[in-house]
Amino acid sequence: MRAEVVHELREILGRAGLISEPGRLLTYECDGLALLHERPELVLLPRTTDECARALRVLHREKIAVVGRGAGTGLSGGATPVKGGVVLGTARMRDVLEINAVDRYARVQAGLVNVDLTLAVEELGLFYAPDPSSQHACTLGGNAAENSGGPHCFKHGSTTRHVLGLVIVRDDGSVLDLSRPAVDPVGYDLVGLFVGSEGMFGIATEITVKLTPTPAVTETLLAIFTDLDAACDSVSDAIAARLEPSALEILDKLTIEAVEASVFAAGYPKQAEAVLLIEVEGAEAEVEMTLAELSRIVKQRGAIDVRRARSAAERKKLWAGRKGAFGAMGRIAPDLYVADVVVPRTKLRELVAATTRIAREKRLKLANVFHAGDGNLHPNISYDRRDADEVARVLRAGEEIMRVVVAAGGSLSGEHGIGIEKQAAMSLVFGDDDLRAMCRVRDAWDPEHRMNPGKLIPVHVCREMRNAERPR
Amino acid sequence: MQPAELVDYAKTLDCIHCGLCLRTCPTYRLTGAEPSSPRGRIYLMRAVAEGQLEASDATYRGELDFCLACRHCESVCPAGVRFGEMIESARAGLSAVQHRPVLARLARWFGFELVLRSRWWLSASASAMRFAQRTGMARLLGRWGEALLAMPLVPPRSERAPLAATHGARAPRRGSVAMLEGCAMRELYGRVNRATVQVLTGIGFDTHVPAEHVCCGALHAHNGELDAARDLARATIAAFEAFGDDAIVTNSAGCGAHMKGYGQLLRDDARWRERAQRFSRRVVDFSEFVAAHAPTAFSTGAVRELGTLTYDDPCHLCHGQQVRAQPRTLLELAGARRVELADAEACCGSAGIYSLLRPADSRAVFEGKLAAFEASGADVLVTANPGCHMQWESGFKRAGSRARVLHLAEVLACALDAPAARRDG
Repeated sequence: MRAEVVHELREILGRAGLISEPGRLLTYECDGLALLHERPELVLLPRTTDECARALRVLHREKIAVVGRGAGTGLSGGATPVKGGVVLGTARMRDVLEINAVDRYARVQAGLVNVDLTLAVEELGLFYAPDPSSQHACTLGGNAAENSGGPHCFKHGSTTRHVLGLVIVRDDGSVLDLSRPAVDPVGYDLVGLFVGSEGMFGIATEITVKLTPTPAVTETLLAIFTDLDAACDSVSDAIAARLEPSALEILDKLTIEAVEASVFAAGYPKQAEAVLLIEVEGAEAEVEMTLAELSRIVKQRGAIDVRRARSAAERKKLWAGRKGAFGAMGRIAPDLYVADVVVPRTKLRELVAATTRIAREKRLKLANVFHAGDGNLHPNISYDRRDADEVARVLRAGEEIMRVVVAAGGSLSGEHGIGIEKQAAMSLVFGDDDLRAMCRVRDAWDPEHRMNPGKLIPVHVCREMRNAERPR
Repeated sequence: MQPAELVDYAKTLDCIHCGLCLRTCPTYRLTGAEPSSPRGRIYLMRAVAEGQLEASDATYRGELDFCLACRHCESVCPAGVRFGEMIESARAGLSAVQHRPVLARLARWFGFELVLRSRWWLSASASAMRFAQRTGMARLLGRWGEALLAMPLVPPRSERAPLAATHGARAPRRGSVAMLEGCAMRELYGRVNRATVQVLTGIGFDTHVPAEHVCCGALHAHNGELDAARDLARATIAAFEAFGDDAIVTNSAGCGAHMKGYGQLLRDDARWRERAQRFSRRVVDFSEFVAAHAPTAFSTGAVRELGTLTYDDPCHLCHGQQVRAQPRTLLELAGARRVELADAEACCGSAGIYSLLRPADSRAVFEGKLAAFEASGADVLVTANPGCHMQWESGFKRAGSRARVLHLAEVLACALDAPAARRDG
């Protein structure tokens, strides 16, 4: 990159707002998906919407590609830099701008860490509902870009149900203010369109989100199984019985072992083949009824024990174990590939078994920990990125899992996004016409394809569209 | 030296890059920059080991120096990364390949090889520091002098006298313990050492202090001087072996965390490994020991007179030793009016000699702590480590605050023998 451009950007962002030393840039070469990496030319860390807009204007003029990044905890390569491009991070934009407890919304900067919002509003009897497992690190901007989920999204819905407004800096540095908190958007729902656009429509700098009242009663059950199939079946039964707990999470044996060895040891019994973590919230009578019904179902399916958290501290511990599961897998191998498929909830048992079979065939170590209530599986494959052959087998296993799931009526991603990881697999669920339609929407936001290029839409579709547009 | 020997390569592989450490890291909180986070630093260490980055790269050293080694990241790392040990070996690797400026090298040699290795030099430098502070001559020392002036006044020689070798139990005898007198603690906070003895003997323990012991080597290790740290570890082990299997009580969180890790530090030393492990098993923090042997009743009235207390977890006690409940329990037992300090497990910015080496960063980290203290409404900040003690005292002084700082031992001494911890002026 030309020195004058770097200088110009440094003038806008200040010394602390720009990283250009090759050594420091290394740390930005991947996000939570360490499998893929590319060193960016620069990292920009603006503090405000205005700084962000001015920097993007320069990048627009210079035709430089931009990859947005929150905390870099994503698992699909959404924040993997692109060759010759810069990374624009929101890590220094973390102020809470406004809290309105009566109208129940908060306006925050995009780099605010998810859990910090809940901490800021819990005294008011409110919380921010989407709770990705990485909520102690990930940012609300990243959550909006990826339309993140979390265990409690089973009841509350994923991020898109909670984002009311946005301030977006577009590819050319213009600012789109969509921050009026409207429950029912008028005209095209651009906010809805932006959420889940994986950094390809622009950079969100401010977010207005819905706050949810803290439930009167929250109860947590831990059902212990000697058989993973039985745990899956009891979830299918609970769904069929039209029960509405706020979360239904399954952890298998390997995951339990990893978590129990970690600082987040939650007291999951090590001899269990699987545990089902259940949370129910609401008014007391309703909660008790649902709990009784769920206890009956899990016991019928062979749970050998059902424990109820006796205090808020115990409940927190049970959840910390679940949320630390990804990191805890670091005890098994240096790297972890986390798949993110969604399966019909009537087919949990057979598709979980299918993932196990695929991993076994490829001589890979697989653990399953998943949002069972949503049918959102996370087959976790442990590997070592220094072993090229193993890496290739991991990628093939990931692809095969997606094929099997899609063939059974499922989908590619529950919450991690498509990024680069699942890009080619988009063609499994969408025809070229569908993908071209997506591409046209993207063209409207980012005609030069400079915002997070090379992600989400399969390469052949992009190329085809480009060729069609070119005058002959 | 091979690149992979410059860092603890095997440990870098434990990191799975999940990012859960980011929010707890004081330097990431300040900068929002990935290379200034635990995950980022591990990424750099791994890059050095794998030959992707030269260990002589200035930014590599910059990021390692910037780290406070508070180990907060360890408390939230699901993969069990032992960052404290990693940063120590990375810093050791760094001194092997990088040449610091002559003055810096001289200062390190003076500090680590002379002052922290001899009681005489230690005491002489404390006297010199006091002289420079009182006469204002510290101003002539530039940046170092400013840091010196910002420190609390070094106490007079009379308060820095070594403890007697043996102190008999003052209550029905329940056993005996060995106590670490420490280096900084003796020179800067002799009153804390005396309060510690008062409490230990007051609850029925004969207390032995090895004469002529100088330093446990924690500061050396934290700064990557691992060979010197091993020397001092061996000397410390030998000094305390004279007291059989008695518990080794320390009132300094940094020393306690370090000494509990001697087994790890000397793991490759066949002659000392087992002695080190045996030693480490005997080490307890003052609060752990007293909580396990607390008297049923303290006289609680005197502690109430101190005002409202709040406890700030020293990093190397909560993150380094997982001791969180005991100090709080003891304060309750002593009848303290106590409020919780928000974010008590966050680093105060002292970090051993970090506050002297990087005063601006140290103060930036402290700012959030001061705000939390002011919001707590407490009059007294209770700590359990000399570095934090000093950081809070200078911080209060700078802010013009009337709040005072007490070590947990001083509060408990007050509860046992009423007049001890009253405000002395």
